Amino acid sequence: MEFTIRAATLEDCKDISRMILELAEYEKVSDQVKIAQRDLEQDGFSKNPFFHGIIAEVPEHLKSKEDSCMYFFTGHTKVGYSLYFYTYSSWKGRAVYMEDLYVMPEFRGKGIGKALMSKVSQLGLAAGCTQLNFTVLDWNKSSLDFYLKQGCWDVTSDLGYHCMRCEGDALEHLAQGGL
Amino acid sequence: MANFNLRKAEPKDVPDILRLIKELAKYEEMEDQVILTEKDLLEDGFGDHPFYHCVVADVPAEQQCSLTGYSVIGFAMYYFTYDPWIGKLLYLEDFYVMKEYRGFGIGSEILKTLSDTAVKNRCSSMHFIVAESNKAFIDFYKRRGASDLSLQEGWRLFRIDKENLLKMSAEE
Repeated sequence: MEFTIRAATLEDCKDISRMILELAEYEKVSDQVKIAQRDLEQDGFSKNPFFHGIIAEVPEHLKSKEDSCMYFFTGHTKVGYSLYFYTYSSWKGRAVYMEDLYVMPEFRGKGIGKALMSKVSQLGLAAGCTQLNFTVLDWNKSSLDFYLKQGCWDVTSDLGYHCMRCEGDALEHLAQGGL
Repeated sequence: MANFNLRKAEPKDVPDILRLIKELAKYEEMEDQVILTEKDLLEDGFGDHPFYHCVVADVPAEQQCSLTGYSVIGFAMYYFTYDPWIGKLLYLEDFYVMKEYRGFGIGSEILKTLSDTAVKNRCSSMHFIVAESNKAFIDFYKRRGASDLSLQEGWRLFRIDKENLLKMSAEE
């Protein structure tokens, strides 16, 4: 299938926002999405961006056929994305974290996901990174299989690392010195 | 021992930061995994676009432990990340206080400072990883309201190392 992989621009935020919601729906947690298009524009495209984006685009004649909105459907040419940012390992130095990787269901199995991940790898290596990290839900077998085939390994399983989070009231409490 | 000072790390702290990184790695039985150098830390933390931020805890000269002779006795390394559902987050990469200086509230004070930084920067959350074998740390964090996303939500951390990154980036 014909497609292009390129850096995301401000104008892509509308489609990125749409696909973020699609990915959240796929992970069964769409009610947790609090970020809107304007947040993405501000956080990803200002002087000090908090993330970078890559878009997978198909030509007009291959645009998407399915859409949940029946009334204003025009078909989408932006059919996949990846969001990433740079992190730091105190053992190995510069690293890149792939926060999201998503391809619309009707465009899967055509190498788009692999191409998006390849682009993130290229950019990471160019920036001097020695590792790419990301998280996957344990029930997401098709994604787990895809990543293992690319040469990734499961740090949670192999080293016993657990992802921890402190948020909301607990974070505020901690900031005030609460124990 | 009551006097300690928490401050933003400066370039001159780099040798101490690397020393403490190696001490923490040794505690986790992973000392041979640390390949980072002082040069990397200097370039990556104190240039125009830092990859990380650091706070250090130091004690006045008269309180330097005669065993260690060091004044920088604790540190935390962090950076900002992004969750497309909730926005900015603070990621705590490393957090360590030398054994001789534990039990004086230094660790709690570092965590308080970082949480405050997170809140001031409008971060929704502070994230970090902990080895499941490190029960003391897991309990320390859970007591402060942290949740274990791997256990509760099934998130697994995946990694691809340089060799496979090179292969992947070369694929059409």
